[in-house]
Amino acid sequence: MPFRFLRLQGFLAAAILLLATLVALPAAAQDRADIVAEICSGDFAAQQSALSRLAGAGVEAGSEGALWARRIVEAFEGRSLRCGDGLAVIDTPDGPLRASTLEPAEGVDTSTLSAPSVNLRLRAVAASAGAVLRLFTEESVAARAEAAAYVDRRREALTPEILAAAVERETDAALRDTLSTLRASLLLADPDPVNRIAAIEAIAQDATLRNRTAIAEALAGETDAAVLAAGEKAMAGIDRTLALGKVLATLYSGASYASVLFLAALGLAIIFGLMGVINLAQGELIMIGAYAAWFTQEAIRAALPGLLDYYLILAIPVSFLAAALVGLLMEVLVIRRLYDRPLMTLLATWAISLLLINTVRVTVGSQNLEFYQPAYVSGGFPVLGDFIMTSNRLFAIAVALFAFIAVVILLRRSLFGMNVRAVTQNRAMAGAAGIDTRRTDMMAFALGSGLAGLAGLALSPLYNVNPGMGTGFIVDSFMVVVLGGVGSLVGAIVAALGIGQINVVIEPIYGAVAAKVLVLLLVIVFIQWRPEGLFAPKGRR
Amino acid sequence: MAKIQSDARVDRPLLFRIVAICLLALIVAVPLLGGPLSGSALGLTPYLANIIGQIATFALLALALDLIWGFGGILSLGHGLFFAMGGYLIAMHMLKAGYVYGGVTPDIMTFMGWTELPAYWFGFESFPYAFVLILLVPGLVAFLYGWMSFRSRVSGVYFAIITQALTYVAMLLMYRNDTGFGGNNGMTGFSTLLGVPVGAPGMVTGLATASLVVLLLAFLACGALMRSPFGRLLIAIRDDEARLRFLGYDTLWPKLAAWCLSGVLAAIAGALYVPQVGIINPRLLAPEVSIEIAVWVALGGRGALSGAVIGAIIISALKFWLTGFVPEAWPFILAGVVLVVVTLLPNGLLDLKPQRLLAPLRRNRKPAPEPAE
Repeated sequence: MPFRFLRLQGFLAAAILLLATLVALPAAAQDRADIVAEICSGDFAAQQSALSRLAGAGVEAGSEGALWARRIVEAFEGRSLRCGDGLAVIDTPDGPLRASTLEPAEGVDTSTLSAPSVNLRLRAVAASAGAVLRLFTEESVAARAEAAAYVDRRREALTPEILAAAVERETDAALRDTLSTLRASLLLADPDPVNRIAAIEAIAQDATLRNRTAIAEALAGETDAAVLAAGEKAMAGIDRTLALGKVLATLYSGASYASVLFLAALGLAIIFGLMGVINLAQGELIMIGAYAAWFTQEAIRAALPGLLDYYLILAIPVSFLAAALVGLLMEVLVIRRLYDRPLMTLLATWAISLLLINTVRVTVGSQNLEFYQPAYVSGGFPVLGDFIMTSNRLFAIAVALFAFIAVVILLRRSLFGMNVRAVTQNRAMAGAAGIDTRRTDMMAFALGSGLAGLAGLALSPLYNVNPGMGTGFIVDSFMVVVLGGVGSLVGAIVAALGIGQINVVIEPIYGAVAAKVLVLLLVIVFIQWRPEGLFAPKGRR
Repeated sequence: MAKIQSDARVDRPLLFRIVAICLLALIVAVPLLGGPLSGSALGLTPYLANIIGQIATFALLALALDLIWGFGGILSLGHGLFFAMGGYLIAMHMLKAGYVYGGVTPDIMTFMGWTELPAYWFGFESFPYAFVLILLVPGLVAFLYGWMSFRSRVSGVYFAIITQALTYVAMLLMYRNDTGFGGNNGMTGFSTLLGVPVGAPGMVTGLATASLVVLLLAFLACGALMRSPFGRLLIAIRDDEARLRFLGYDTLWPKLAAWCLSGVLAAIAGALYVPQVGIINPRLLAPEVSIEIAVWVALGGRGALSGAVIGAIIISALKFWLTGFVPEAWPFILAGVVLVVVTLLPNGLLDLKPQRLLAPLRRNRKPAPEPAE
């Protein structure tokens, strides 16, 4: 007997399961019919509850449900929903559709049916619900952003759950941020203090200025002491994270400026250490590098549009070689005639810089160049608080690192590098040992110029590119050389980082001018103490 | 690095006398042709007189730079700083005097919304006070910077670059509106100078003549100074500073004295220049302006005062003439002149001696030495 009973039980369970499945499908249909009936009822409370259920359709019934709900809400708003005789249809130019199924309702005369009344408050709820549903159903980001802006103003049909589901579904990062903030402000408006505290804590998890503002706004009208305490604590936590993020962001932008400075100053330092020549056209070689990158971009756009995304990478050799070639010509045509008159090289290189600026101005024009920004130099990675590690700065740092490693290997491991070091230390002795010092000068000048070209490439996604762009960098680059000492790679790095950081730290507080003044005064005081720079080669000169 | 100066480049008695006599002739001619004879066929228009006056101040500026570069071997790429200092100080005097005695409200007061001028404008209505400051302020700045640099033996290219940076920073400072010197608009709208209205008939020729007189006096005084034992010492320092130190000379003070004198002369040139152009703004502090001064000296020939004056006159006259109808071409011409001078004429136009012209391809031209690095 027990056995049989069990069998019966199993049979019953299976039957109930089957029944449940069978009922479940029409349940949605039943819900839809209920909702439509409520809307048609003309009872304000019932209509309002129906609209809230419609607004939540995107959470419960998936995108198909949301599409249906949107159709109903829009029909209700547009007064094309007609009710009567237990029947509800949507009047369309192609004939009426049954509201609950959206199937054609043949033989229904819409003229006998009337639209349910829509009063002002109901219209507001319906508009809000419609915008909520657009958040779930619109294809384009712009349309969803527009809907998000709308629900921010008209929150009648909005709940935190709906927004949580919308955030979950959202693919656009910026829009997701907007929706999260909106959800935070909704949560913070909860009538229950316990919920409000929970909301504050949940929001504080994501320490951004936006969330801090949301909490601060919510606390402005707050009376509950526990909520206020929780809010203060949360804001203090966010403030700490934000402050840390700000410090990191400043250091980061200083590091990217320093990379550009380093590239320009490294070339200057190599040339000065070797030949005692300061190249006043170094800034214009930066400009040449940036223009070479632009020409590479245009050439690729014309010839191989598929590779356009990689033009910045392809431009690395182009920028280097273009600037190196200009440098080589400078050395051969002018600088080598002035080897025992370093002061005259200042004038000569200045004349060359004047010539380069004006030649570019006349041939290409003096407007800022437009650079295409591939995906890898736009956007960034959020790190902490409002600190975003932007890719364009990362690119500059990466180019500088790459160039630094290449130069170290070149100077330490190659024959050319050995020659450069030998001639820097003692020109006459190096010559006597059989090194072709003139050729070494020429190659080193080309190398130093090429490094400036790389600086131009590295800064092209960051700064304006125009014929006069180089003049702004030249003074800072010299200060790096003076500070870092001649012919010292480590010195150039330390000095570039130092001057780069001073610039970005002082600039927001006292302005760009103060930063430059301070750097210059520091350098003047500094050379009192160490005239040969921080990392001068040992020995008497 | 012992280099013996057999070439008597320092003293070019003939050229020196020719330049002095020409200046004297101009001092007589300008007031005469610009004043009573201005209507005659040879007469000077006020425009031309004004340009002669401006060029005279440029020549004075070049003289100042040659003193320190040609004779001291110290290149300054920042003489625009001293020039602009003189200019700003005289502009402050003229505005304040116009405000106090003439009741003309300076533009910067309206622009900045001031009811009175800042405290450091105190006393500027008095010309003697302003004049003393024109000598004192640039002299003090030159002294401080020179003392710090020469004491730690910063020289050559380093020194030149830092003077350039100094000027650049001064330009950035002056471009700010809140420093009280007129910001990027600078200062203009001068009404009187020494009690005479700026628009008075003799003003232009008077200023031009005054500039020429100051130039001639400075030229003669500097010539005498460079022939004196002090000048000889300075030249010796240029040629081999280390040796002089070993011989027991203190090289710091002669260099510093020449440097300060050069700065003050440049400031006087600026103070003469600004009343003639009627405006001063921070563009005078741009690094290009200072480098152009060095170009004048390099073209005329370093180490010869007459060369500096001639170089300044040639290039500025060329610039006034050319920028009138081909302004775009001027940078190319200037760059070309510099490149030709530095590669082909190491001592500037002074290389164009008759025998050199006969044998232009001779290789053994000896450039004036620079201090050992």
